[in-house]
Amino acid sequence: MKKLFNSQERMVDDMIDGFVAVYPQVKRGENDSRIVVRRQPKDSDAKVTLLIGNGSGHEPIAMGFVGEGLLDANVVGDVFAAPSADLILDGIAEVCGAAGSILLISQHSGDVINGGAAAMLAEEAGHTVRPLFMYDDISSAPKGEETERRGAPGTMFIYKILGAAAEEGMALGPLFELGEAVRDNTRTLAAAVSPGISPLTGKAMFSLPDDEIYLGMGVHGEPGIGKAKYGPVSGLVETMVEALLDDRPVPAGDAVAVIVNGMGGTTLMELLTVYRETETALKARGLSAVAPMVGTYVTTQEMGGFSISLLTPTAEMLRLWCAPSDTPHFPAIKRD
Amino acid sequence: MTARRFFEKLEALYTDEQERLNDLDAAIGDGDHGSTMLRGLTAAAKAGDGLQAKAFMRASGGASGTLFGLILHEIELHLSGSERSLAAHLRRSLERIKELGKVAQGDKSMVDSLEPAVSALDAGRGIGAAVAAATAGREATRDLAARRGRARYVEDAGRGHVDPGAASVCLILGVLAGEEEQR
Repeated sequence: MKKLFNSQERMVDDMIDGFVAVYPQVKRGENDSRIVVRRQPKDSDAKVTLLIGNGSGHEPIAMGFVGEGLLDANVVGDVFAAPSADLILDGIAEVCGAAGSILLISQHSGDVINGGAAAMLAEEAGHTVRPLFMYDDISSAPKGEETERRGAPGTMFIYKILGAAAEEGMALGPLFELGEAVRDNTRTLAAAVSPGISPLTGKAMFSLPDDEIYLGMGVHGEPGIGKAKYGPVSGLVETMVEALLDDRPVPAGDAVAVIVNGMGGTTLMELLTVYRETETALKARGLSAVAPMVGTYVTTQEMGGFSISLLTPTAEMLRLWCAPSDTPHFPAIKRD
Repeated sequence: MTARRFFEKLEALYTDEQERLNDLDAAIGDGDHGSTMLRGLTAAAKAGDGLQAKAFMRASGGASGTLFGLILHEIELHLSGSERSLAAHLRRSLERIKELGKVAQGDKSMVDSLEPAVSALDAGRGIGAAVAAATAGREATRDLAARRGRARYVEDAGRGHVDPGAASVCLILGVLAGEEEQR
């Protein structure tokens, strides 16, 4: 596979060079070249700041969500590797003021240990920072063991809702509780149709027969819950919505916010079709789909496939999810 | 003794021990524990005062680099004139490692040598006793089955092999002890 890089050593830094040169909402942090921050920082003594560290190779997440009404900083690790604890610590020091910070941690083992350690070291250095562990992938651990699950694209509900609430001035304690509530109301399931190519090895990250689909594969190609036969997408989406609602039942009559996320190699044409079928499957159960987000946001290079995330929002969560933001890649969300 | 001297001595020791630790790790893990530690220590030995543990974490990368970085961070503070006792410093690293790694004594990990060492220091038995306790803990990992990390999936969960993380804790405390006795 031909990938367009200068070298393995430079690929992440070259990408960030391009990113901060292109988008008006962002700039490099002062503490380290792997930190991306808002060009117009908020008053961090008055408002809680929000940041996340993650491995690169999944763009546009998370640096694409740095900006007003969303993240204050993103700490960028090597390809598919969590940033080191000291680098995340530098990121915390960059944005944390008197109002404190929330360090978002999408649950993967490297991120949990490095992010958790960074939060401990930051507290020791006098910063007020709380790590919020995010997990929503129902395929990665059974019901009843939710805290063992991986972070998946449903975590975008947390980014956005907390980002909007922090911008409005919500204090650290209530903001953290809001984040936990969003997490607890969110479930995600993914389906993969073709592998991504690792920029490190130039090789496919897994293999899959032409007539099969992997259910529940993680963002690094981690194994999921099983295979499905390739067929019309309506049947696949029906199976996935059933599994999501089985994991966290939602009473008929409720509204459900939906994310359909493409993994990198799936077209908007396909993703919009997936959304249509999701809405249909929800409607058949007496549920209404609201405030959808459909597009390619959490990727694994050119991996083919998508995930469906469902959030049962409170009125407050829904309002914040639909609030305006100004970042390179977070879309406008429709509020009916 | 300065933190600088400690990191230089540790780097020299790992230069010699790198292969042996990689071999230990190859039996139950990625086979790179010695190289990972040496990469971190080389960066630490070159770093400015107060930045050595941070440099270690950055260069070694990965989860185990972070966990060892937490130990080295406490030793760095101790050797830089901290008013807290060595026992208190190492206790803090132990508690952090257990929380972050979700690991307890008996799981076949670095905790199996660090925890007895910290207990010895807490009991006022001195650094020599702490090293002896860590060494006994390291040897005990030979008969343990791994409950965390990749070693869970190897044959018999790694029984019959010493845990490389536990071995590393002994090396670190050994260098620290040599210097503490000179202080």
